[in-house]
Amino acid sequence: MSDILGLPRRGKVVRLSASTQSEDVAPPTQPANVRAWPRTGRFFAFLPNLTLLVFVILAWQFASTVWLPRIDPHMAVLMPAPTTIAFTAGGMISSGELFFHLLASLKREASAFVIAASAVPLGIAMGWWRLIYNQVNPIMEILRPIPPLAWIPLSILWFGIGDEQNEFIIFLGMFFPILVNTIVGVKNIDPNLVRAARSLGAPEHKVLARIVLKGALPQIITGVRIGLGVGWMALVAAELVGANSGLGFLINDARSMLRTDTIIVGMLTIGVVGLLIDSAIRVLSRRLLPWSLALTR
Amino acid sequence: MGHLAIKNLSKVYGGADMAGSVVALRDVTLEVPNHQFCAILGHSGCGKTTLLNIAAGFEPPTTGTVAIDDVPIRVPGWQNTMIFQDYALFPWMDVAQNIAFGLEMKGLPGHKCKDITRHYIDLVGLAGFEDKFPHQLSGGMRQRVAIARALAVQPHLLLMDEPFAALDAQNRSFMQDELVRIWQREPKTVVLVTHSIDEAIKLSDCIAVMTRRPGRVKEFINVNLPRPRDEDDSSYLQLKRRLRALIHEEIAVQQTSMKVHSI
Repeated sequence: MSDILGLPRRGKVVRLSASTQSEDVAPPTQPANVRAWPRTGRFFAFLPNLTLLVFVILAWQFASTVWLPRIDPHMAVLMPAPTTIAFTAGGMISSGELFFHLLASLKREASAFVIAASAVPLGIAMGWWRLIYNQVNPIMEILRPIPPLAWIPLSILWFGIGDEQNEFIIFLGMFFPILVNTIVGVKNIDPNLVRAARSLGAPEHKVLARIVLKGALPQIITGVRIGLGVGWMALVAAELVGANSGLGFLINDARSMLRTDTIIVGMLTIGVVGLLIDSAIRVLSRRLLPWSLALTR
Repeated sequence: MGHLAIKNLSKVYGGADMAGSVVALRDVTLEVPNHQFCAILGHSGCGKTTLLNIAAGFEPPTTGTVAIDDVPIRVPGWQNTMIFQDYALFPWMDVAQNIAFGLEMKGLPGHKCKDITRHYIDLVGLAGFEDKFPHQLSGGMRQRVAIARALAVQPHLLLMDEPFAALDAQNRSFMQDELVRIWQREPKTVVLVTHSIDEAIKLSDCIAVMTRRPGRVKEFINVNLPRPRDEDDSSYLQLKRRLRALIHEEIAVQQTSMKVHSI
């Protein structure tokens, strides 16, 4: 029952019991009743959860425009009001500035991901052949705990300041989550599926392509999700020190000019885009792998 | 096509002369003529699944041979395919794709795969469910897919590892009848592993009763009852009593030997 109801649980339960209590609406079977709600009900059921957020924004507005200027006008500069931020955001969007930096960041994230995708074949090889795992794993175990940010000084010396250096840092952030999850995905495949495939005459390379890769795919996608998230964080850090464009550069550049409103617009953009990337992959994997959703249920 | 000959088969886990090695099978000899249905009946832990795994080519025997029509089995393949207790359907393939998998592995052209898949979907009674995924099917239907997938590759030997263990009693009895119906339409040499005496009598032409570990064939019994088998028939009941006595002997011996060990 609880998994049918979905996330905004409380609002829906209240609505359900209300509808079953009313005499004029004869409740049909329970599942049909539950299913009818999300379309119209979910949106409104969601609203009460935003109460605190709205209150915080109002308090912030009050603090920035009334409270802080009264204590010290200089402090008000450090905490721009939500309305100011919205106004700045509007200006940055219409001038194309925000879009320019966002695109630069996304381009780096994408090209780093293309290279980091090499973790998938490596992970499959490590998960499948014991010998490769035993040889490669010690190297990975040494490199993995080094945070991508610790590579920044060396990478600047190697690549200079620019796209390559940034992409290298992002790549490091993405590579290991994808690798580790791919290995786990391969190792967790039901051995009977592999046996069944062999028993139906599948040669080794077909077993790898059609059973091992497919079976590990849900876990690989989990790795990609984590990897893109870590990469996105590493990206901003890399741009803070070694770039002439991108969202990280944008907020660091705005700091030197005390444009706190621009900084916050940049920060919010980083957050929202990170969230969008994550949701996009979740929706995509649910569409592409309907069977794995049923497995995890 | 499909005369199974198991000769002097032994399987030792953990090295033949090492301490702690386990002898799973000792000197098993068994012949199943072409298109016969043979049940291997034994108490749990008697090595019957090991025997099946060797016949499927998943594990090598320590000594002895398994051969179909005098061709020794060394690797898994469609000639000696297996149906698993948990069905082992590929979750990312729908019913038709699961059944067609082995045909594609055989390298058959697309239209032939389709025709054969169609035939087996009809044979096992899954018409209308071609594009359903395994998680959308009931246990009995998954079992049907597994049977169709195995039969589609035209194996010389079909191995079944307690295929009905995961079904409820009613479904099990129904699927047993279905299996006999399908097998009579498309005869194959079948080796089925079970611990259920009723299942063995209901399905098979011959029953190999295994001893406790290390497993040997204690007794080989031909079942000469007319099909469909009548559970209330006196000769059925007689055979059932005999098999039960054989199995109980083994359990009793096993328990006394365990007692001796613990003293």
